Amino acid sequence: MIGIVVVSHSPALASAAVDLALQMVAGEKPAIAIAAGAGEGVTGTDATKVAAAIDEVAGPDGVLVMMDLGSAVMSAEMALDFRASNAEVKLSSAPFVEGLLAAIVTAAGGASLDDVDREANAALVPKQGMLGSSEPGSTSEAPQVEAPHVEAEQTEELTILNPDGLHARPAATLVSALAGFDAKVTIANRRTAGKPVAGKSLIGLLSLGAKAGDVVTVAASGPQAAEALEKVRELVTSGFGEMGDEVSPFPDLRAQP
Amino acid sequence: MAGGTVSLPQLVDWLSRFSGLVTENRTYLTELDSAIGDADHGANMARGMTAVMEKIGATPVAAVDELFKSVGMTLVTSVGGASGPLYGTFFLRFGTTAGAVTELDGAALGAALRAGLDGVVARGKAEVGDKTMLDAMAPALDAFDAEVASGADATAASSAASSAAAMGRDATEPLVARKGRASYLGERSAGHLDPGAASTAYLFEALSEALA
Repeated sequence: MIGIVVVSHSPALASAAVDLALQMVAGEKPAIAIAAGAGEGVTGTDATKVAAAIDEVAGPDGVLVMMDLGSAVMSAEMALDFRASNAEVKLSSAPFVEGLLAAIVTAAGGASLDDVDREANAALVPKQGMLGSSEPGSTSEAPQVEAPHVEAEQTEELTILNPDGLHARPAATLVSALAGFDAKVTIANRRTAGKPVAGKSLIGLLSLGAKAGDVVTVAASGPQAAEALEKVRELVTSGFGEMGDEVSPFPDLRAQP
Repeated sequence: MAGGTVSLPQLVDWLSRFSGLVTENRTYLTELDSAIGDADHGANMARGMTAVMEKIGATPVAAVDELFKSVGMTLVTSVGGASGPLYGTFFLRFGTTAGAVTELDGAALGAALRAGLDGVVARGKAEVGDKTMLDAMAPALDAFDAEVASGADATAASSAASSAAAMGRDATEPLVARKGRASYLGERSAGHLDPGAASTAYLFEALSEALA
């Protein structure tokens, strides 16, 4: 699993953004290190802190560095001169909050550094789709979330039951659930007639814009296609465990009982 | 200036004067930054250079490279804003290029300053005219090099560099920012001096005073 470094001007912003993203991860989490603030309570960034954070989470799978703005980028670049580890490091140009969420969820699924970086970079696609600045389900800005063409061995049509549709938490649950299967799963939204997206792509799933009552076409291929499809069916038909609970667009943001 | 060289104590004096200038003018620098940035440049530079002078006072150094490595790293860890990595890189590259020596002649000082400038360009990816510290630093170095090439010593070259930096700073006023926080303002950034160019003018003013 890759490591993730979070660089921000503000320790409060960094830890809140990490908490928000971690609410999407049920199982094993990637190693995450925060490098935020400079000196004693100074709002800003410090390249030596970034270097130390990279070394803290560095492993054979590499490190992705997420940054907020301005000097965070410069400090992260400078940190590459200071770090002691020689793990592969990528600096992500993704938006801070959305990109961090996509990165952490994708990393938790065991994706490679390149795949996590691509997924984070596409993190604005769902929001742009929702606000009409790009066609929902269209992946023209982010071809990486589009499913690679595979010969589907099995397909199934399932209706989304969750009142809030396939929002971030159930999408993250699906990504995590599929991570363990040796199968290629694609999902398409029949209502929008958009292109199929990879079931292991959080951003792809969110870009489907699947609402309650939408019918999605799930296609699976590969050695564990049947098992993967069964898992998707189980999750979708159970409302991803959200049904019967008090319904909120952000159920995970409430205090846990 | 004995033998036309710049001594280690003179370089420390340069830093001390720079610290003094940014500290005295911290409110002015922050005012410039509040017009087109995030209103922290004066506070950041004063805090950073105060930390530098404390560090130098606490741990005396024997060579130029050692001195400026300490200066650069202290700025990186204490400034917070983009000036941290930018000035930090400037001084780190200055030190590396100067090497483990105890004095610099005009040409060596010019080469070290030029390496610092190249470091700022590499780090900030700005060009002259982007309304950044480079708009004071690049003309300062050009003036310095021209003086040295015509046979002037480090004192005369630093004096010319200081004048050129001040002119470069003043010339940032009509520019539209293309880098840094000010670039978010677009056309509204015109009509204000760039705070980074202003602090860079102090850097060369301090050098000129220290070598006078």
